[in-house]
Amino acid sequence: MLTKRQNLLETIRGGKPDRFVNQWEAFGGVMGDPCKLRTRAERGGPDAVDSWGVTTTWPANVPGPFPVHDYEHKVVKDITRWKEVVHAPSLDVPDSAWDDVKAQASQIDRNEQFLTFFIAPGIFEQAHYLMGIDTTLLNFYEEPEAMHELIDYITDWKIKYAELVCKHLKPEAILHHDDWGSQINSFMSPEMFEEFIVPAFKRLYGYYKSHGVELIVHHSDSYAANLVPYMIEMGIDIWQGGLKSNNLPELVKKYGGQISFMGGINNGIVDVLDWTNELVAREVEEMCTSCGKLYYIPSMCGGGPGATDVYKAVSKEIDRMSSVMF
Amino acid sequence: MSKIQEVKDLVAAGKTKLVPGKVQEALDEGNAATEILAAMVEAMGVVGDKFSAGEIFVPEMLVAGKAMQKGVDVLKPALAGAGSVSLGKCIIGTVAGDLHDIGKNLVALMIESAGFDVIDLGVDVPTAKFLETIEANSDVKVVALSGLLTTTMPAMKETVESIKASGKTGFKVLVGGAPITPEFAASIGADAYARDAGGAAIKAKELI
Repeated sequence: MLTKRQNLLETIRGGKPDRFVNQWEAFGGVMGDPCKLRTRAERGGPDAVDSWGVTTTWPANVPGPFPVHDYEHKVVKDITRWKEVVHAPSLDVPDSAWDDVKAQASQIDRNEQFLTFFIAPGIFEQAHYLMGIDTTLLNFYEEPEAMHELIDYITDWKIKYAELVCKHLKPEAILHHDDWGSQINSFMSPEMFEEFIVPAFKRLYGYYKSHGVELIVHHSDSYAANLVPYMIEMGIDIWQGGLKSNNLPELVKKYGGQISFMGGINNGIVDVLDWTNELVAREVEEMCTSCGKLYYIPSMCGGGPGATDVYKAVSKEIDRMSSVMF
Repeated sequence: MSKIQEVKDLVAAGKTKLVPGKVQEALDEGNAATEILAAMVEAMGVVGDKFSAGEIFVPEMLVAGKAMQKGVDVLKPALAGAGSVSLGKCIIGTVAGDLHDIGKNLVALMIESAGFDVIDLGVDVPTAKFLETIEANSDVKVVALSGLLTTTMPAMKETVESIKASGKTGFKVLVGGAPITPEFAASIGADAYARDAGGAAIKAKELI
């Protein structure tokens, strides 16, 4: 029997896996914020301002924190003057700041799992945290020069952060969060994506790849089938979070071998108040049988392993499909 | 090509800098402001249809909406003289527990472009706020509710039911958002469901 790690490599490299990779089992996740970048509001608590100056709020009745984008709170109110207001946070922290993530890493069995560092927000997300997503998307049209400059600035900073990550943690995989679409389409056209987003990620993922990171796992729980050729160009090994609406079986057939797909089990379908084991079984079986054994990792689309009953039920059904199909 | 047709094309193409001048030219040529506005509304309808079909993306919708707003700014003095051209008021907001705003913002943009006066209550809007706003705007024609998360579907249900139970009349309730289906919309007593922003504008016009 292959280890979880071996089984993943066989799956994404077109080899001979002996079962489905079961959701996040092959990734030993390490999370942390050594540079104290992500001060954010706590549920029901006061609003908080992070190290980029972005205000977040988390009302008690809301499932997660969100950036606040009324005019008063936007960091960038006029994109042509972004240099006056955007100041990348300092990455100058003592080596000891990395002790916690190193301690997490030491607990991971590398025979079974890839040491995986979680990074968020992504480049596009960082841009829209600063000014709001509508404004960001509009600015691609109206002020392209300034947007190119800002994205370059964010990317340069993220590469400096990557230097620290690679130096201190030496991850074998990164999980990078940058949402690029809605349920039914990408936010921007492939042409616009190619112009603004692709070069930034080629630089960033190229850096990680050239500094020992074997697997780039990119999270975008959305429709983004039209962006897959660019994901390949960027160096993404596994696109995590692809919703069912992407027609993953078709993508596996078309691009398998160049990139792999992890997801297809929509949280919006299975993680509902009245979920049932039958519902979960149906969704898992449909995805496993239609996508097949290679270049596909059955998984809920949310960006990380869960401890919920639904997550466990999905894992159980994936094991069942492994026994049926392998 | 007529000046009105040129305005229409420029709005659909999101030419924010060119629309005001062309609208002024159309007015100078003697075209009625209401006619020019109707052409811009029609252009936004085309934009909405293309968005629904996946032919254009969020930035193209936003820039078209901005182009139309620039044109309306030029028309406003003339429109004031022509009397009201609004289809009525639309109250819109994201239901309690949901902070996602882009879908709601796009719907507001399209509904405004279709000719409504939009009162945007923002995100995470409690039921009481919707009721207060309806109370304060007795001439409201449409109340539009948005929700992205499955976890906020109960809040949408509660809001629709409370609005219906309030006894207030004269308007219709339109719902939408990623997890919302026509079946769910019907089950909670909403008057209509829209799949996306373009569809919402069409549906809002049908409802009045």
